[in-house]
Amino acid sequence: MSKRRILLVSLLVIALVAGMAAMGQAAPKSGGTLVFGRQGDAVSLDPANVTDGESLRVTRQVYDALLDYSEKDTSLRPALATSWENSADGKTWTFKLRKNVKFHDGTPFNAEAVKFNFDRWRDKNNPYHQGEFEYWVGMFGGFPGVVKSVDVVDEYTVQFTLERPVAPFLANLAMSPFAIASPAAIKKYGQEYGNHPVGTGPFKFVKWDRGDKIVLEANKEYWDGKPYLEKLIFRTIPENSARLMELQSGSIDLIDGVNPDDVALAKADKNLQVYLRPSFNVGYLAMNMDKKPFDNPKVRQAVAMAINKAGIVKAFYAGLAEPAKNPMPPSLWGYNAKVKDWAYDPAKAKKLLAEAGFPNGFETTLWAMPVARPYMPQPQKIAEAIQSDLAKIGIKAAITSYDWGMYLDKTSNGEHDMALLGWTGDNGDPDNFLYVLLDKDNAVKPNANNISFYRNEQVHKLLIEAQTISDVKKRTALYEKAQEIIHNDAPMVTLVHSTPPLAGRKYVKGFIPHPTQSESFATVWLDK
Amino acid sequence: MLYLNSEQGFPGPAPAQPGLPAQPAPPAVTEPTPVGDNLAPQTTTLLRDAWRRLLRNRSAVAGMIVVGLLILVAVFAPLIAPHDPLAQDFDSRILPPSAGHLLGTDDLGRDILSRIIYGSRVSLAAGILSTALAVAAGVLIGAFATYYGGFWDNLAMRMMDIMLAFPQILLAIAIVAILGPGLTNAMLAIGIISIPIYARVVRSSILSLREKEFIEAARALGASDLQIIFKHLLPNCMGPLIVQATLGIATAIIEAASLSFLGLGAQPPTPEWGAMLNGGRHLLRQAPWVTAFPGIAIVVLVMGVNLFGDGLRDALDPRLKQ
Repeated sequence: MSKRRILLVSLLVIALVAGMAAMGQAAPKSGGTLVFGRQGDAVSLDPANVTDGESLRVTRQVYDALLDYSEKDTSLRPALATSWENSADGKTWTFKLRKNVKFHDGTPFNAEAVKFNFDRWRDKNNPYHQGEFEYWVGMFGGFPGVVKSVDVVDEYTVQFTLERPVAPFLANLAMSPFAIASPAAIKKYGQEYGNHPVGTGPFKFVKWDRGDKIVLEANKEYWDGKPYLEKLIFRTIPENSARLMELQSGSIDLIDGVNPDDVALAKADKNLQVYLRPSFNVGYLAMNMDKKPFDNPKVRQAVAMAINKAGIVKAFYAGLAEPAKNPMPPSLWGYNAKVKDWAYDPAKAKKLLAEAGFPNGFETTLWAMPVARPYMPQPQKIAEAIQSDLAKIGIKAAITSYDWGMYLDKTSNGEHDMALLGWTGDNGDPDNFLYVLLDKDNAVKPNANNISFYRNEQVHKLLIEAQTISDVKKRTALYEKAQEIIHNDAPMVTLVHSTPPLAGRKYVKGFIPHPTQSESFATVWLDK
Repeated sequence: MLYLNSEQGFPGPAPAQPGLPAQPAPPAVTEPTPVGDNLAPQTTTLLRDAWRRLLRNRSAVAGMIVVGLLILVAVFAPLIAPHDPLAQDFDSRILPPSAGHLLGTDDLGRDILSRIIYGSRVSLAAGILSTALAVAAGVLIGAFATYYGGFWDNLAMRMMDIMLAFPQILLAIAIVAILGPGLTNAMLAIGIISIPIYARVVRSSILSLREKEFIEAARALGASDLQIIFKHLLPNCMGPLIVQATLGIATAIIEAASLSFLGLGAQPPTPEWGAMLNGGRHLLRQAPWVTAFPGIAIVVLVMGVNLFGDGLRDALDPRLKQ
């Protein structure tokens, strides 16, 4: 499939370029600095060791993975690997690598480098296995997980042997966390590597002022052609409205996280353009099943029924979202449209709570993110709304918050009772939602992504089986079944699938919001 | 300086002259009666004098009325508030002021007027309780340290100096960070950071008082240290202390609102003015009323307390006596 796809993509690109030339559109200009304003700072710039979008948004520019997604969706295209082959039994993958690619530190990219990275991620005893490697656990099921071995065939050929066939294997490899880092740099910096990222990507790391900005500069020797921008700066501006104000005043060029309430304001500004990122996420309220009383399914169902989801969506998303009934977005295949959502019914919820042994409710904590997220532009307000809903059935929830990095650490370690969080899809496979967020493999402290600590054997079986087979129809059936079980167990209250709005100055060209929330800036240029 | 409970027998001439440590004994002490006798009429006159001066001061009266009204509002909040301050209604989010919602609604659809009315309870309580705490602790530290002097005085005052070396609000934030966010902890923090102010006020009064003859007389009569401190020294520090505390309430209200604004004080859904300011911040451009009204409420209350405090200072200052 791959070669044909490459051909197709190249043809498309040629047609597109020709078409643009024919229309007389201005050719992209080189030069200039683009300042991107965003909600939170990166946690680390070692992509294998983070899970948050703000870190990956930056590492996406510094690194390349073996494969990449297309500009608009999650279909795959070659990146550091030029072609690949799967064995008949589905357990062996052979990748041909791109030649003459150099890391930013000048060391060559080759099969050894690929092996070094994979061994670092998957092998607990590897001397460079420093960190949590949550995404590796999330996508490949632990250490070493499904990847039995990674072997160097020759300088530009690498072979993966898997425990069992893994249907989303290629899609997983294209994810930003599995980007290839310079082995020399990892050896040099060790624990500190997250502050000194070295990849092969279109932009080189220059400096990081924590809490303020990350500065990148163009990699003039980039294998896919030098990027247009001279410099790329990611600035942290936690306040949504302050960020928009800076954009309007012209001190930054492009922002993520526009308050839905502010979209009209941005649209009215003739210097700005508003983008809508395709909806590919879920915002949810996780209930920690390792803690009482959330081990009781009736309590969880009561919470699910007590929350006025439609009201929250209406109030905080200005129409740019829909209530969620499943932990994955409806635009993704495998979505179970037949699941019937818990209806908002405080009276019934109160009854259920009484049956569970809490006629007068109980006291608990409700954790809310300190920063705006694409799936939840105003977490504190949503927390207040949920707090008020819960109060109606007698649950007194105190809203708790920590700074972003600590919030993720503490929730991954299961220190919360209830916590708001969300997930933006990375690779266009239902596995990336259901397995990551709700499989027991991912409910392992201190690096859990399944922060409901939901461990259902049946769901686990279904999800693993779905990983193993490649027939999409069969996989769809398995995922639909899993969603049904998850719905009844209610480990989380799925709240919302949002369509996150972004805004930029009109002179920013070539920026295409990607559903996965991290887009390459290699093709972005400034028309000014 | 004013001696409300004037055991010297008369309020003037100006008793505490800096730089003149040893004063000749006031000639008026002629009566050998025990201390405490025959004082009531004079105290009342003094207070009446002060009261009269206070009433003549228009801005002080204005301040008093504002504070008085707000106290009434706080006490009768459930009767006055047109809506439940916690009731959310997503169908009436961010409504501008209208007949139904006199001050509009916030982004959770809560009535701002009702929240401000209930918020007055939180602000007044925070101001008064944290100041009470600070006064109590400050007075004790200041009185004992100064009375015993020497090492203890040095130790206490250096500690107070250290506390004063920090910007107050920063110190409060640090304390709340340790104790954990919440209204009680915020009040505690504000109380703690204000201690040095009162300790110093008491100290400066007692420094000059403790060498006075009436103290010597009390000692000669066999009064214990505690008796001297609580019966003879502290009552004579009350004037400046009351003024300082009144003004301190205003500061405490602002500090409580600041901590709440930063998310360290009152926690949602408690209606608190500072927290309301913070909650409406992102709507500043579309819906300025969400932040404007709680802001105005803070200004009005703090100004009222300050005017009253200033008036009180003038009234209690014998030098301004006409």
